[in-house]
Order: sequence, then structure tokens, then C-alpha cells
Amino acid sequence: MNTPQPSSTPPLMELRNIYQTFKLDSGRKIKVLQDINLSVNDAEVLVLLGPSGSGKSTCLRVLAGLLEPSQGKVLLNDQKLVGANQNIALVFQSFALLPWLNVADNVAMGIKPQALPPDEVSKRVKRAIDLVGLEGFEEAYPKELSGGMKQRVGFARALVMERPILCLDEPFSALDVLTAETLRKEVLNLWLSKQTSIRSIVLITHNISEAVSMGGRILVMGSNPGQIRYSIKNDLPYPRDEKNAAFKSLVESIHDLLTEAIIPDTPDWIPPALAANTIESLPHVSLTEVVGFLDLLLQEGGRADAFGLAQKLMKDSLNVLIMAKAAELLDFVDTPKNQVVLTDLGKTFIKSDINLRKKMIHERMMQLKLIQLFYQNLLNHEDLAISKEDAIQSIHEWLPNENPEEVFDTVVQWARFGELFGYNDDTQQVYIDRGEA
Amino acid sequence: MYTPVPHQYRKVRLDPSDLIVLGLFIFLIYGSVITAERWHAELQPSVSISLSTGSLALYSVYSLFRAVIAYILSLAFTLVFGYLAGKFKAAEQAILPMLDIGQSIPVLGFLPGLVLGLMALFPHNNLGLELACILMIFTGQVWNMTFSFYSSIKSVPKHFHELSDNIQLSFMQRLLYVELPYSSSGLAWNSLMSMAGGWFFLTVCEAFTLGDKEFRLPGLGSYMAIAIEKGETGAMIQGVIAMIILIVGMDFMIWRPIIAWTRRFRLDEQQDDPQEIPFFQLLLKDSKILRLIQSLTQALWHADAVKKRKSLEEQDSSKISLRRLQRNWHLQVSHFLKHHKYAQSFISKLTYAVLGFMGVWISAKVYNFLHPLNISDYLLIAKSSLITFIRVIFTLVISTLWTVPFGLWVGLSQKRTQIFQPFIQVAASFPAPMLYPIALAILGFFSIGIGMGSAILMLLGVQWYVLFNVLAGTTMISRELQDTFRIAGLSKRDTWLNLYLPSIFPSLVTGWVTAAGGAWNASIVAEYILYRGNLLKASGLGALISDATAHGNYALLAGSLLAMVIVVVGFNRMVWHKLYQLVERRFKFER
Repeated sequence: MNTPQPSSTPPLMELRNIYQTFKLDSGRKIKVLQDINLSVNDAEVLVLLGPSGSGKSTCLRVLAGLLEPSQGKVLLNDQKLVGANQNIALVFQSFALLPWLNVADNVAMGIKPQALPPDEVSKRVKRAIDLVGLEGFEEAYPKELSGGMKQRVGFARALVMERPILCLDEPFSALDVLTAETLRKEVLNLWLSKQTSIRSIVLITHNISEAVSMGGRILVMGSNPGQIRYSIKNDLPYPRDEKNAAFKSLVESIHDLLTEAIIPDTPDWIPPALAANTIESLPHVSLTEVVGFLDLLLQEGGRADAFGLAQKLMKDSLNVLIMAKAAELLDFVDTPKNQVVLTDLGKTFIKSDINLRKKMIHERMMQLKLIQLFYQNLLNHEDLAISKEDAIQSIHEWLPNENPEEVFDTVVQWARFGELFGYNDDTQQVYIDRGEA
Repeated sequence: MYTPVPHQYRKVRLDPSDLIVLGLFIFLIYGSVITAERWHAELQPSVSISLSTGSLALYSVYSLFRAVIAYILSLAFTLVFGYLAGKFKAAEQAILPMLDIGQSIPVLGFLPGLVLGLMALFPHNNLGLELACILMIFTGQVWNMTFSFYSSIKSVPKHFHELSDNIQLSFMQRLLYVELPYSSSGLAWNSLMSMAGGWFFLTVCEAFTLGDKEFRLPGLGSYMAIAIEKGETGAMIQGVIAMIILIVGMDFMIWRPIIAWTRRFRLDEQQDDPQEIPFFQLLLKDSKILRLIQSLTQALWHADAVKKRKSLEEQDSSKISLRRLQRNWHLQVSHFLKHHKYAQSFISKLTYAVLGFMGVWISAKVYNFLHPLNISDYLLIAKSSLITFIRVIFTLVISTLWTVPFGLWVGLSQKRTQIFQPFIQVAASFPAPMLYPIALAILGFFSIGIGMGSAILMLLGVQWYVLFNVLAGTTMISRELQDTFRIAGLSKRDTWLNLYLPSIFPSLVTGWVTAAGGAWNASIVAEYILYRGNLLKASGLGALISDATAHGNYALLAGSLLAMVIVVVGFNRMVWHKLYQLVERRFKFER
């Protein structure tokens, strides 16, 4: 997907036809990125937005030269990138501060390889520390700082490197809401003020309003395998106000896009002959969470928009969408547009006691192709048991683009809830209780 | 950063702490000089050992310097091989089995090769013999340090690697600022353990018989060996005191400050409980000599940085980045390997080929060695292995029976831990063979034979490993669960069975593994003792090895060593490994 260039200046960086496959510990391969094309233009904030598993962090690592793509080209100023990217400064979700160095020394690490004279180092470190508002904390050790302060150190270390592209890997998601909000504004202001070397910012996030409040161009990513679904331009003037109507409508339309991507309203038409063979994976959520979600939906009168529910649940809206997807798989909700509507079955479910709920889950799960295959597989064995290893192998064959171990965990967790089959971690075996079979 | 020497320190007025520092310097120089003299002196395979107190002091200095040199070698070995194994898969495949096997070979297995080889290399002075002794001590120290460093290097969090790549730290910078600090805490603890491991076989390393030749180096170990052989109680007590002074002194002056210092490099960013500064560090706090040294090294460091910068400035910037890539040779190597899959498979194939070749070569050697053995020899080896195996199991059972209740009793109370910890540490570091005469006297009093007695002697050395690990395990018992059990009114028995024992179980398994390895090794001294002019020999694999060494029966030595390696490594693989897996799955607390 090639977006038009905003200006005549060439892009700072480009990814062309990037594919990435990973080998799991078991030796199986899964595809994490598929045909990624993107450019980081001069003077923009580029946002990669997507649910977990959409490969956005992998994209960032490819950009930073930390990961060689399995296929495709990484271009830096029209030249092929070799080794780690020297034009990118990284900020990590986990801060990645060395606990044995104080703030000033942690920041100074950013220019360690340049062997600058000590007074030059302290000048640059001081400036970076001033820019992020850490004056007075130079001597403090990371363990003495709050999360927000730690991330400021992370930013100062990136700034001191004086590189043109700042890559942010979910830098605010380990912080509380207010701190994140403050830090976001400060980072934007730093970029807008042009006091630093930063020409462009690449931000990885799964938070829609964060994407809209910062991004000039938002690439919406989808999962299994990770790919770019949409590219959205955002010309709202900075500073952006979350209460502004244009802001809200952009958030909602991106939300709709994601909803459409995660819980499609009109599934792509599949010939009936093939439909029987389409296996849908289970979303990686816990059923207890889904029950809580349905409970809330009932309190809301059985109908709400996913976005509003997310705010009520204090959850990420992407998370809520995935819960809605799980509920829809079980026929407990319908999802017309971005609405989530409780079905009659869902209403009965939520009003039942725990035993009836388990029974309903059991019945609904038996309608799912993946579970049917799994169950059939168990029945084919005389002792009604298969090893975890074999089960994962089968899942890998049915769903080649998914992480089979993750799917296995979800299947087991759901099956335990619905009392379909059991799993013994000691013997590493999935089995059907003979009494029930 | 460079700070000029503040004015007040320019006036030389020595503080009392400076006297300590000066004293240490003089001791260091003195020890180095007598060690060097000894190395240069004409070869004297067997010195006559004087049992006087004055000689004992001199001997202790000799032994201390041997152990320290061996430790420096161990550290160098650890840094190189632990690093390679942690970083490169091919190296890991070659080094881990080597460590596994090396760990299971008792010191006598290295003795003939080292002594004969090095003495042939330096036939005229003591250097060869001294080096052989140092390398034997080295084999008692090195393995657990290398294992510890290897696993630290492997567990450096991924985001630190990504950060280093992004900043483009050079190989040295990565090592200095990230990998070494991260590993330092584990390495310091294991150094302390290793030092104790090195002392354990001191009596064997300094005084031994090989075929028809007797070897004796001046040292604390041979002093003890002679005192035990002659049954001189006064000398034995003096030797024990000297050993305790060495252990406590090193603990006090070296290990405590180092371990306290490495605490700052720990990754858990919890606010530490108020840290006590080691007493020795407080003592030297005001030393002006130390400050002068500190300023000097900083000035040198600074000058080096200036030189480095100048050389960087002289090249234009494009060359710098190229140079940087060249400096990061390991990045280049991994980059190259990623792009050249054939190279990767070639290297791993090459490694396997080399390993295979070495395996064949060693097997051929061993086969040659074993050739003279007949079926009755093999039966003897099998029988001896079985007997020693029973002793090893016995030591594990007895250790567990007393250390679990005692360790829990101590570990569950902060106060008792503080009281007992230092004593346990010294007891654990003390080389058990030096206590054998006392134990033998007691055993004699109860008229217990050497067959049973040697098992008790083995126990003397290895029970501490179990106790240490039980103590470490008690820190894993969750406070919340303890409170829950108390509130629920569960009985003592239930609390023990369902909380305490499962909580310490993972540590206990580690203790068993270490203790079993130690017990097998200890059997060579516990089953074969020269005491009051008599040779006390139990039947067992250890006695077989010692006997074969003493009589220069290399075929039997090779055979019994091979048996020990097979039993220890096999047991590790089959029993301990399974237990570890069980522990990983069932007993680890998620933190």
C-alpha cells in the first residue's frame, strides 16, 4: 500500500515487500508479517495501530535493523540497511534502563560508542535531561523513580543520541492513564518545537485515541499474519483535543474499521462447499472475562457500542472487540456495525447459574469447527487421549498462520470451562473423561 | 568521570586505615616474591615438612597464593568459555558436555597427566610441579563458576540486547556495561563457593604419591597431610586454625565487600532493605592511599578516552560507522550467519565433526588405557561403584534428614538466620578432609569401621550443600501462605507437608545434585586415608581411584574414572534432570 508523499522530500526510510516468519521452539514456522510496504516520511508522526499479534512490534524491529526480514528490502536513504539502523533511536515499553547506572549515566549510555570528551558528554546529557524535565534527578537510580520518570529517562537516552527517527514501542502502555497523557503531550511538543534532532516519529500502539492524538498517518494492522489493512491520514491541527468533534469522529471511524477487521459484519462470501471447511480459531481471551463482558452488556440493556463498553470496562477497545468476537463465536451476541447486541441465547446464558452456563458453553463449543475436529481427533484414539505435542501439531495443520501453542492454551482453557475435555499437565495429555464420553 | 585530586588529600598524613592498606601491599609483595622464588628454585619433588608454627605460617602463604592464582585462572576460563557458550549455539553444544564431564572427574583424574606432563615440560625447577598443583586446585574451582556465568549471559533480558544494538555498543562496551554487571552477582556467590571447592582437595593436591614417587609441596595441605599421617594432634589443631584464619580472612576482606558491591547490579529493582556496609570497607573508608590509586586510575582512564576520541576524529564520519561495524565483530558474525544459511549449517556440522573426532580420539585413548584390564577388574570396578553409590545415597538421606528441619528452623526466623549464617558459611567453606582425623577418633571410639565410617566422612563435607540450599529455599516460602495456614488453623503437620516442604523442594533438588556430585568426588579422600601411619581403606570406587593413582596403575585408574564419569553424568541426566523438570512444572512459584 503506497501512500502519496506529503511533500517532495524523499522518505527517510522504506520497507518494501517485507515478509517475516518465525520458528517456534517446537521447530514449526509461523508467518508474522506478510507483504509489508511502508515509508517513514520526513516530518511526520507515523502510527502503527493494531491488536496484539498483528506484528507491529516486529515491524518496528525490522525498521530498527534489530531483525533481518525473511524476505523484502529495508531502505534507508535509498540504500539497503545493513546491521542496526543508525538513524533510529528506540524507546522501549519496558524502559530498558540499566539498574546499576544512575539517571545521568543511563542517558550517557546513548552516546557511549562515540567516545566524546567528558565535558561534551555532560553537556549533551544535561540538555537531554532538561528537555524531558528530569533536572535534579541526575543522581537517582532507576529503582527510586516512578514509571513515568523512568520512561522520561528512556526518552532522554533516545534524544541524546541525536538521531533523525524516534521509534516508540508502546512507550506509554506501562504507565497509568494520567502520566501517559502528560508524557504524550510533552513528546509531541518536543517534536513540534523542533528543538531536537528528531525529524519523524514512528509510534507503535494498540490504543486508538493515542494513535489519533499523535499520528499524522495511521496504519491499521490486522493479524494472522500481520499485514497493513488501511492507511489513514490525520490532518487535525496540533494540539489535538479529545473532546473535539472531528477527533471523536476519527476515533470512531478507525474503531469501525478495526471492528470490521476483527468481527466482520458481512463475512467475505465463501462458497458453501468451502465454508464447511473453514476453520475459525478461538480468540485468545479467557471465558471468565467474556462472562463479565456479557454481564455488563446486560446491564446496559443488552445493546451498546463496543467503544462505550471499553470505557466502562476500563479496557482497551481492541480488547473489548476481541471479547465481542469470542461472544459472537458462541452466538451470545450479534455485532451489527459497531454495536454489540445480546442475543436471546446470550440473555438466557447470563441469567443462568454456573452449571447451566457450563452446559450452554459445552453445547455452543461443540458447534465450532475447530472444537469438532479436536473432539473427533480424541475419539479416534482408543484411550480417548492425545499428547499435547500431537494436539499442537494438528492445530498447526488446521490453522497454519496462528501460533499453535497459544491456540492450544485457549482451547484447553475453554474446554475446561465447558467440561468438554480435560488436560493433565503432569502427563501432558488431553483426554475425554470416560464417564462423559 | 575525572575529578582532580582534592587539595586536602595532597598533604600526606597517613590514617590508621592506611597502615592496613600498606600492610596488605607488603603482604602481597612478600607472597609474590616467595612464590616466584619457589618456582625458580631447583626441582625438589618432595620437601620435608616441618610441623613448627613458623613453618605453618609460611606454608599458609604458599597455599593461599596457589589458591588465588588458581582462582584467577578459573575466572579467566569462566569469562572465555562461559561467554562463548552463552553466546554461540555451536560453542554451547561443545562446552556444556565438557563442563558436565569435567565436573564429574575427581581431582585425581587430572593428577597423573598434569604432573607428568608439566614436570616433563619444566624438568629443572619447581615451576612444573607448582603449575600442576595450581591446575589441580583449578579443577576443583572452575566448573560451577563457568555454569553460573553461562546461564547469566544466556538470561540477559532481550530488551538490553536490543538497546545495545540500537545504541551500537561495541563488543567491549556491551560486556562492561551490560553483560558483566548483569552476571556479577551470581559470579561473586559462585566465586565464594569455588574457593571452598578449591580448598577441599588441598591435602591431595599438595601431597600425593604417583607410582613409586612421592610428591610433597610446601603448603598447608601437605602440613595437614603429614600431621594426620603422623598423628600429631597439636599440629593438626594448628593446621585447622590456620585454615580457619585463611577462610574467615578471605571472607572478611574479599568476599563480603565484593558480594555487597555486586548487590547494586541486581536486576530486581526493589528498594533494598537497609544495606549494611561490610566492616572491612568501613575500615578502609578513610585510606588516602586507596583514594590516590582511585584518582590515578581515573586519570589514566580519562587519558585513554581522549586518545580514543582523537583516533576517531581523524577519520571521516563514513569510515567511523564502518569502523564501528568492524568493531562489532560479533554483530558482523551473526549478520553473516543469518545471510549465509549454509555457513551456519557448516559451522554446526564442523562442531559436530570436531566433537565426533575428539570423541573417537578420546575413546581410542581410553580403550588403549583400558586394554590391560580383564573381566575381574571390570567386576571390581562395578562392585566398587555400587558400594560407593550406596554411600552417596546414604549421605544424601542423612543430610536431608537433619538439614531440612534445622534449615527450616533457622530460615523461618530472621534472628536465627543472622546468628547462624556466618557459622554455617565458615563450616561449609572448611575443607572437610582436614577434619577427618577428629572424625576418625570419634568413629574409633564408637568402634565404627572404615566401611561405614567413610560414608560419614563423605557426609561431613557435603551436608552443607544441602543445608545451604534449604536455607535459600526458606526465603521462597510465601508470607501470605504462611498467614493463610495459620488463620485456617492448620496443624503443624499439614503446614510442613503442604507448605514448607513443597516450597523448599526446588532448592532441595539443587542441593541434592550438588551434594551427590560432591560426595562422589569426596569418596576418593574419604575411602582412602593415611592416619597415624596406617592406611585406612574402604572398598569403593574412591578407594579404587586413590589406590590406582598411588600404585601408578593407570589402566585401573582410567577404568574407575570412566565408571565415575558415567555414573555421575548418567545419574544427572536420568534422575536429576527429570526431577528438575518436575520441579519446573509443579513447584516453582510464579513471581
